Amino acid sequence: MTLEARNLVAGYGDKSILDKVSFTLNDGEILAFFGHNGAGKSTTLKAVIGLIPVQEGELLLDGERIDKLPIAARLDRGIKLLPEGRGIFPDLSVKDSIDIVAQRNCTPGGSKIKKDDVYELLPNLARLRNSIAGEMSGGQQQILAFALALLGSPRCILLEEPSVGLQPDLVEDLFGKIREICARLGVSAILIEHKIASAMAIADHVMIINSGRLVFNGSKAEAETINLWSYF
Amino acid sequence: MLYLQLFIDGVVSGCAIGLVSVSFSYFYATTGTFHVAHAGIYTFSAYFAWWLVGVGVPFFGALALAVALGGVAGYLTQRLLYERLARNTASPLVMMIASIGLLTVLQNVVAILFTPNIVQFDLTWRLSHLSLGGISLSYPQALILVSSLVIVTALILFSRHSALGKRIRAVTSNPDLAEITRLAPKQVFAIVLAISSAIVAVPGVLIGVDQALQPYTSLLVLLTAVIAMIAGGIGSLRGAFCMSILLAVVQSMSVAFMPGRWSVAAVFGIFIVFILFRPEGLFRSRFSRAF
Repeated sequence: MTLEARNLVAGYGDKSILDKVSFTLNDGEILAFFGHNGAGKSTTLKAVIGLIPVQEGELLLDGERIDKLPIAARLDRGIKLLPEGRGIFPDLSVKDSIDIVAQRNCTPGGSKIKKDDVYELLPNLARLRNSIAGEMSGGQQQILAFALALLGSPRCILLEEPSVGLQPDLVEDLFGKIREICARLGVSAILIEHKIASAMAIADHVMIINSGRLVFNGSKAEAETINLWSYF
Repeated sequence: MLYLQLFIDGVVSGCAIGLVSVSFSYFYATTGTFHVAHAGIYTFSAYFAWWLVGVGVPFFGALALAVALGGVAGYLTQRLLYERLARNTASPLVMMIASIGLLTVLQNVVAILFTPNIVQFDLTWRLSHLSLGGISLSYPQALILVSSLVIVTALILFSRHSALGKRIRAVTSNPDLAEITRLAPKQVFAIVLAISSAIVAVPGVLIGVDQALQPYTSLLVLLTAVIAMIAGGIGSLRGAFCMSILLAVVQSMSVAFMPGRWSVAAVFGIFIVFILFRPEGLFRSRFSRAF
């Protein structure tokens, strides 16, 4: 799978936030996406999943233009989003949340990750099956949110601050899972993260955005030779 | 015995208003849309059943068809009105004004299609009574009591245990996530309004059988139902139903202690007490869509 953005311009209403953002994400690759608050990271992910319209430029998945497709069609093509801080259904139990999302996203025999796979990949969830999502700790909620984003046949997961609310040891655990799942299933990911060291540990590629413009786009090795903070 | 009879009358009246309140609450908690036109569907369904009975359709057949009409009207209202307004990012106030417009249209359609007059169902059994230990209950009252308990219990069980009920709760608690996990919130909103509108047809018809049908008074019923919903805890079906019964019992029994014209004031008095001292309502609700 290759996700490609060419000169992407997107924003809210008539206002453009992104200024000709271009990048390429290959199969199984993890792209760490840095930038200060309001720089355009979340806007980029929203444009990729279809929550906001692409005003100019192109978005291609395996050569097919997807920037005019509705959200459902992009979800069909395996683009998934883990939104920051609101990735759960607070009223439902873990089991009900996973059952409902699996029912709408998994086809018998045709899905990469079914509900049993989620419990296997994230064993802590199995112990929380009957817990109400809104009453769990922030870390447990984030694990559930990640599980919901995985269900179905993900090809590219957009992760928005997955470490928020997690203790440091849980961050390492979660990021390790992300790396493992991407490698095992050939899923690629765009990871927005403020914990730079944790994100760099699993990234293959790095992008930095500032005021809607990409100011760095290179490999992890290239990123390690520079002072990332100088771009903020 | 008078007090007991007033109490029973209040419970029956509360059960009917409870169905209006529960159905309104179900849709409001899910979408956040203040669906004033619920009162119009209540009236339209009732007059439709009255017309069907008038042309010879058996009562329960007419009731079933009125429920079906309510469901279809609700589904179309969501798809053709609210969904289009939402697409144009209409504010909640604009949605409510559009809903008031639809209510006016429905009331006038009722007056034009059926009659603008107060009418009663032509059913011989509607004046028959059951006597239980000195308490008198008309057949329509008994029907209201039984049907409301069955419908509210069924709705709560549906919401808690069925796949669609859980999907509706998921959409209610996080519509943005529902959009990106393929739960199709727009489809869910239409289904919920169809269910709510089918339910509200039942008290519309049964109160019409028990008392009479009037094209322009359903807004008062809806107002009482909304008060019950707020005082019961927005999003809590159980709260809306119990509070409807409590308010109706207070209203019914108050006539034994004060002039009848004060009975409505007693209901609003309870509402003000709740707003001041327990604004989250009788049953705390986990619904994030609450005010």
